Amino acid sequence: MTTTVSASGLCLRYGGTRALDDVSLRLTGGVTGLLGPNGAGKTTLLRVLATARPADRGAFTVLGHDPATARGRQEVRRRLGYLPQTPGFHPDFTAFEFVDYVAILKEMTDRGARHREVRRVLDEVGLADVRGKRIRKLSGGMRQRVALGAALVGDPGFLVLDEPTVGLDPEQRMRFRELIARAGEGRTVLLSTHQTEDVAMLCHRVLVMAGGRVRFEGTPAELTARAEGRVWSSTERDPGAKAGWRTGTGTFRNVGEPPAGAELLEPTLEDGYLLTLDGAGAEVSA
Amino acid sequence: MPGLTRALVLPACRTLPWRLVGAAGVAGLLLAALTRTTGETGERLSLPLLRAAVLAFAMGLVFLLDDPARHTTATVPAPRPLRVALRVALVLPAVAAWWTSALLLVPPDVRPPVADLTLEAGAAFVLAVTGAAAAVRFTDVTRPGPLVAAGLLTSAVLAVLFWPKRWALFVPVEDDRWAAAHDRWAVVLAGAVLVGGVCAVEPVRRRWGRGGV
Repeated sequence: MTTTVSASGLCLRYGGTRALDDVSLRLTGGVTGLLGPNGAGKTTLLRVLATARPADRGAFTVLGHDPATARGRQEVRRRLGYLPQTPGFHPDFTAFEFVDYVAILKEMTDRGARHREVRRVLDEVGLADVRGKRIRKLSGGMRQRVALGAALVGDPGFLVLDEPTVGLDPEQRMRFRELIARAGEGRTVLLSTHQTEDVAMLCHRVLVMAGGRVRFEGTPAELTARAEGRVWSSTERDPGAKAGWRTGTGTFRNVGEPPAGAELLEPTLEDGYLLTLDGAGAEVSA
Repeated sequence: MPGLTRALVLPACRTLPWRLVGAAGVAGLLLAALTRTTGETGERLSLPLLRAAVLAFAMGLVFLLDDPARHTTATVPAPRPLRVALRVALVLPAVAAWWTSALLLVPPDVRPPVADLTLEAGAAFVLAVTGAAAAVRFTDVTRPGPLVAAGLLTSAVLAVLFWPKRWALFVPVEDDRWAAAHDRWAVVLAGAVLVGGVCAVEPVRRRWGRGGV
């Protein structure tokens, strides 16, 4: 599979904090999930890869272009779509006008072709009916779709999505999953999220970050397999468990090192994630 | 690039903070108009009132680079210097019209030397936009305007009170140092243009900034 993004030794500090600490990775086509607790460095990594912020050290290429030069960065940006964690808008613009504005900023200067592309993208994100509505009058979910439309306009080869489903209700989240899955067809998507279900359902690869470092890189199945034989059921909370909680059936689901004879359960991606974080010395809470 | 600039003109014009600039402009014109009502003291007060008017309008110009969509458009290929230059160019006719109106509001017999005062006003306006460009360059905030406006106001007050006399900038018309002061205003203007230009460029590598780029 062709490598879209290749990074090695990325480092970035904020004062005394290492936001990125020697991050190396390789991204290929399809959706790659990026999991990690708050402050793990996910957003910083996404911003660096999206060329929104330069790293202190390290190098990376996107679709064969090196953003460490002005020319290379320009080429990367021509092939990139970026949905930030808190997308902002000009609230008096309509959905169409805003995506059109972003399309112009993406150097689409032919008015006819640009308008066709904006209509296509708004159709793709399900906003065709409200494209003439002012953004200030759209719901949070719709605004998020406007931002996704802005990221998708121009058919970028590399799409960076920073927690796109945060704050969305379950129905909107499902709808967004559909959009992301479709966006991942024929392009590389890097999806940062706190939702392990998003990763389980959408991603062919997953990265787990903690403390500015990549702690795991593999498939969702491999991450889940990390918890194989380490999830068990009990009638009381097991004090030896890394994490444990009472389930709807009244029994406790424990994650960690099971006692002898424990009733083992089928692990989930979340269990594998929790154990990976625990191994990385990150705080595990459940 | 010309095609991109042409296509950007209308949407960029709509993203400008016209209401804030307009409000600051009105406040500035009211201050300039006070020179008509000050009677015999008009001559003495026309210069400080015009300077206050310039400061008021400059406080509106600091909002010029406020952009709620900054993060959404952070990684577009259209270069930041072009976008900043376009915003400045779009507001320039309004600035020229405002300054002309402010000068015309001052009765001709008490009007300070127009060329020198235009230099002061130009330096103040460029400083305001440079402050905004620096805030965009070194922080991640989408609306640096309020912070920069507070900084500009504080700096202006401190400069009037504590600026060293041998480098005086705010001198009355009859002062012997008037010409020298305006040489210094020219230096301030050139420095502000230079710093503004540097701040408008988006660095490829991280050098000294801890905040946004």
